[in-house]
Amino acid sequence: MSFMEFVIAAVGIASAIGVVGFRNPLSSAFSLIVHLLAVAGLYALLGAHFLAVSQVVVYAGAIMVLVLFVLMLLNLKSESGRRIGIIRSAITVGIGLVIFLAVSGPMLAQFDNLPQATLDHNIKASEGGVKAIGELLYSKYMVQFELSSLVLLVGVVGAVMLAKRKNVQLTPREGGLGGAK
Amino acid sequence: MDPISSYLGISCLLFTIGGIGLCLRRNAIVLFMCVEMMLNAVNLAFVAFSKIHGNLDGQVAVFFVMVIAAAESAIGLAIILSVFRSVASIETTDAAELKW
Amino acid sequence: MEDTRVALVVLIPLLGSIVSYALGRAAPKVAGALATAAVATAFYFVVSLWQALEGGQSFTFTLSSWLSFADVRLPLELYFDKLSAVMCLVVTGVGSLIHLYSIGYMAEDESRPRFFSYLNLFIASMLILVLGKSLPVIFIGWEGVGLCSYLLIGFWYTNPDFASAGRKAFVMNRIGDLGFLVAMAILYHSCGSLDITVLNRPEVLARVPSEMGLIAGIALFLAATGKSAQLPLFTWLPDAMAGPTPVSALIHAATMVTAGIYLMARMFGVIELDPLVPAIILWTAFATSAIAALIAISQNDIKKVLAYSTVSQLGFMFLAVGVGAYSVALFHVVTHAFFKACLFMSAGSVIHGCHHEQDMRRMGGLARSMPLTCLSYGAATLAIAGIAPFAGYFSKHAILESLAHAHNPYLHGYSELIGLGATAIAICTAFYMTRSFILTFLGSYRGEGHPHEAPMVMTAPVLVLAALSVVGGVVLHHGFFTYLQGPLPPVAEHSGGGIVGYVLGSLPGLLGIAAAYALFVIAPAVKDQIRNALWVGEKLSSRKFYLDEVLGLLVIAPIRGLSGVVSRVLDQSVSIGTGNAIGGISRAVGELTCRVTTGQVSTYVLWMFASAALLLYCFLPVR
Repeated sequence: MSFMEFVIAAVGIASAIGVVGFRNPLSSAFSLIVHLLAVAGLYALLGAHFLAVSQVVVYAGAIMVLVLFVLMLLNLKSESGRRIGIIRSAITVGIGLVIFLAVSGPMLAQFDNLPQATLDHNIKASEGGVKAIGELLYSKYMVQFELSSLVLLVGVVGAVMLAKRKNVQLTPREGGLGGAK
Repeated sequence: MDPISSYLGISCLLFTIGGIGLCLRRNAIVLFMCVEMMLNAVNLAFVAFSKIHGNLDGQVAVFFVMVIAAAESAIGLAIILSVFRSVASIETTDAAELKW
Repeated sequence: MEDTRVALVVLIPLLGSIVSYALGRAAPKVAGALATAAVATAFYFVVSLWQALEGGQSFTFTLSSWLSFADVRLPLELYFDKLSAVMCLVVTGVGSLIHLYSIGYMAEDESRPRFFSYLNLFIASMLILVLGKSLPVIFIGWEGVGLCSYLLIGFWYTNPDFASAGRKAFVMNRIGDLGFLVAMAILYHSCGSLDITVLNRPEVLARVPSEMGLIAGIALFLAATGKSAQLPLFTWLPDAMAGPTPVSALIHAATMVTAGIYLMARMFGVIELDPLVPAIILWTAFATSAIAALIAISQNDIKKVLAYSTVSQLGFMFLAVGVGAYSVALFHVVTHAFFKACLFMSAGSVIHGCHHEQDMRRMGGLARSMPLTCLSYGAATLAIAGIAPFAGYFSKHAILESLAHAHNPYLHGYSELIGLGATAIAICTAFYMTRSFILTFLGSYRGEGHPHEAPMVMTAPVLVLAALSVVGGVVLHHGFFTYLQGPLPPVAEHSGGGIVGYVLGSLPGLLGIAAAYALFVIAPAVKDQIRNALWVGEKLSSRKFYLDEVLGLLVIAPIRGLSGVVSRVLDQSVSIGTGNAIGGISRAVGELTCRVTTGQVSTYVLWMFASAALLLYCFLPVR
């Protein structure tokens, strides 16, 4: 594994731990942005250029901005002092370990037999480029493509309906925009 | 371990970290972010497999996952806002009335 | 051969039962007419079937295949041969007359629709009993008439005494039913079939092992005992007089009580498997007949006299059964139906006319106010006393004659004794019946109020039956026994012996009548002297030989004790306790496991991952 890959992977993993570990949700959000960018880098290293770019644009650019908006809207303080018990943490980490082993186990068991793939650091336009993916999308995955647009429409409408402000009084807290109707 | 397996290993690791975060954190938005992380881990695996098999079907799958994740994030955050309006908190421990 | 009329005979009264109740609720006056029409229609079909019967023919009808699995075949089939014809004619013929009578008797009762519905249901059940082709079908009818008897005895159920009389009848019937079931089980196990046409063939009966044959015979007789009121299951019959008089006439004189005789006649092959069984039947019948006659002497309620008289006459019929003269017994069934129904219905007219007075000590002199009823009652009394040429003479004489020709190994030396005893009972019968006639109709009226004759709708059927009691014997007795020679074993035909024979044969009856007349009309003082002298006998007689009390001690008290123990120990502790324990366990488990739902999202997520891990561990090959 080349140095570049190693660094990007390390950043990805570290920021992932940061998402989970930070107390302040804002710090978690920024950590996630870093994680997403790192993963985008990994995509690029794997030759999925279009995906790398759309990861940055959609995920890091749009979704995380939305998350930050909501965090700002809610104007929260840090998480209250109630800590999670040691037992629960231990159980959780234990289960996590089991899941990790379960998922990676089959792979580790046969790591000699996995098909070899060459990693190409040269960015080739044909491979994973917009044209190649577009050809696939519009021929083989046509129906799914159209349906996904429907899903997005539903998502938009749903989000608007849910987030619409109804006539409720907020409880006296500095949450939101105060008691405005 | 050959290079491509290490990508899969990273994917597993990220998935597990996301899962652990899901169990441990109480803040709803952080929970959401952990879910996004798990999705990303899966996307990474898809891309790795696409590289192994030499065709682009895996990448198309990632494309669709991103689409769905976008829609889901919009609605999820809207729900969190609605809950916040009635409970005045986004800690999951404060919205725990459906119990014995 | 198949004939639909057989089914119609059964189904029309059944339909009538439902319809007369339904319509009767709307228009009570219609119920009686409808019910009577139903039975009369059934009578019409029976007559047409009877006319069509020739030689050894029979008609059948299959209602449904009923029980049909593995190699068990028990279809619901009806069977009409000469024996069924005789029984059906009696049931539907006398039945329709009684229905007509009831229209008048129950005219002021509000529950008339229910009454006629039950009456029709009874006729239908009795017809099923008589027309059944296999023992299970007969059993259906058997149970049905038991049920209707219960319903009709306790018809005025608001009176607790009447209701418990109905219950007593039903319970005693039930004890007899146990015998029926035992007999069915034995016969099915040994012979493989319960069809009555099959079961009487000697080659089929030969398959029954000897001890089983004895038990089967006794069991069948037990069933007949319950239904036909013989020792020890007869105490329900006098109590059954709590029901309306038409019920007593129909069920407890003419039809249901004769079901036992019918069963014996149908299953004569089984009865005769072990010669001990007919001997038992004979002795039991003799004892019953004697006791009942002795009790009847001291009864003051007119219906009770007739009730004990019925028990006694049934004993006579069983005497004939015991010596194997089944057609003779059936002949007595027919004539008994005529005169006993007539007696009961006349008594009903008397009761109706005296405004529901039943005690004979408060009657008297009714010959003047109710001439037609008096005529009918008198004719029937002469018939039951066995005076030639009335109907009862021929049947009683036939029974006494058949007793003389008995050849049962267990009866050596006793047959003359029984014959003498039966003659004595006949004298007794004449005596107490005449007593009741004298007390009711002769002398002067000892009651209050103004007795009046019954309306025509009631007296007409009574007169018809009285006429039958007069001429029935003369008309029927020649061909009757040969007619039934197909289904039943033959009886030796005896000549009438001319006029001398008739007079000699009527002697016991005449003696009884003369004695009663002497004691009650001519010299009442002598009667009182005799009564005081025989005070022990009078006590025994009027207290019904303390049979009810004995049964209560021997049977009812232990059962009550046992059921008390069972209900306290088993029911309370075991049944209810177990139920509570199971419920308790359920609740404990529930309370334990419901703690899973803490309401916290993190808990649920943890469980989800734990399950996912488990599934992954199961399905993925982890190293």
